Amino acid sequence: MHAEITSLLAILVFPGVIFLFVLAFFYEWVDRKFFAKLQNRYGPLHTGAHGILQPLADFLKLLSKEDITPFASDKLIFALAPIFYLALPLTTLFVVPILSQTSLITFEGDLIFVLFTFTLIIMTVFLAGWSSISRFSTIGSIRATLQMLGYEIPMGLVTIGPAIAAKSLSISKIVEWQSLHFWIVFLQPLGFAIFTICLLAELQFVPFDIPEAETEIVAGWRTEFSGRKLAVLRLGKDLELVLASALITSLYLGGPQQFWLIPPIITFLVKTTFAVMLLSLLRAVFARFRIDQMLTGTWKYLLPLATFQVILIQLGFGG
Amino acid sequence: MGLFKWAQTKSPWIIHFNTGGCNGCDIELVAALTPRFDLERFGILLEGSPRHADILVVTGPVTLQVKDRLVRVYEQMPEPKHVIAIGTCAISGAPFNECYNVHGGIDTVLPVDAYVPGCPPKPEAIIDGIVKLIQKTKESEGNGKGK
Repeated sequence: MHAEITSLLAILVFPGVIFLFVLAFFYEWVDRKFFAKLQNRYGPLHTGAHGILQPLADFLKLLSKEDITPFASDKLIFALAPIFYLALPLTTLFVVPILSQTSLITFEGDLIFVLFTFTLIIMTVFLAGWSSISRFSTIGSIRATLQMLGYEIPMGLVTIGPAIAAKSLSISKIVEWQSLHFWIVFLQPLGFAIFTICLLAELQFVPFDIPEAETEIVAGWRTEFSGRKLAVLRLGKDLELVLASALITSLYLGGPQQFWLIPPIITFLVKTTFAVMLLSLLRAVFARFRIDQMLTGTWKYLLPLATFQVILIQLGFGG
Repeated sequence: MGLFKWAQTKSPWIIHFNTGGCNGCDIELVAALTPRFDLERFGILLEGSPRHADILVVTGPVTLQVKDRLVRVYEQMPEPKHVIAIGTCAISGAPFNECYNVHGGIDTVLPVDAYVPGCPPKPEAIIDGIVKLIQKTKESEGNGKGK
């Protein structure tokens, strides 16, 4: 009975749902604040200490607003899409190690499960935009799907790298291997770069924010969502940011490791904050690509480079 | 002050709509969003879609052409929503008042919550207008949940 309560608490509170929500709000704040610093601004300042409560205030405000369902929309999918968009990254975060070197749920092949949910997230985006029956949402969702055709294959190829090095398809085993040998970022820097670029595209951050390009198609696939649904969508996006930074951390930066007296959770938080700052740095220094530039770029350069990385590992470099 | 009301005063998102002005006020509004004035300090973000926004920031006199579109954009915004009229044209129509193609100021079409006079008003004045609107929201009755 005691063990059951402990495992239930682990899933619901720490390091489960509530902890991940707090982390999602915290990383949105880190992202916005660092992004503002890079633009010589202050960013959120007056909501809590240094604006740390800003993401929470945005979330609560959106919860309290009117929830509009457009008359022409496909009502069932329109209501379900935000829930899936929140649930998918949340579920996937359970297979990524946070508290110690083994995650809450671990099985051989959870790396493939993570890649599969990344695809499902984009399918949810597509359904969300498609069910709105607004021309801006439709264009946005089609762009999101097109973009996925570009970055998904290079991302799948480079994640083979850590798996070959650790001789396992389980993220927990990859983390364990790194604590015994090197961080994989030192062995496969090319793979790390490609993986980061692909995650930028997955998160729809600036060089690849084509699906929600504000200056072209209003707010992209999210145009018609308001109130509660928008709040859930934004929280889902933040959780996706947590998932992306946690994946960078556990696949390339060694994951939660024990350094002398510092517990693994602290090293995990430091490394993921670094990953979030890396992503927002790239977001700040680049300008948006066109959809055709993005697709030709990924197929012409990213895919051959990803293949080259796998060949290098096969030849015995970085494996 | 309730939790939801606190959230509403801390995160007012604006959408910008030009009803036929000369672009002077628009440039000042955009200047208010630049790093020098940095409206994000107060949690203010410029949103692209009326469905995401709380405050409709209108510049320029309402022309007959744009009147229906302005009402449509306003109706697409979720409750609770506010309107700010920026510049003299938006307040009364100014030199264009009673022109053959001008309907008048914004308040002839929509309920306006705050006026910012000036031709064009400085970014500081626009920030002051938004702060006064937030004060008004704070002092108003109800829990701020809208309809």
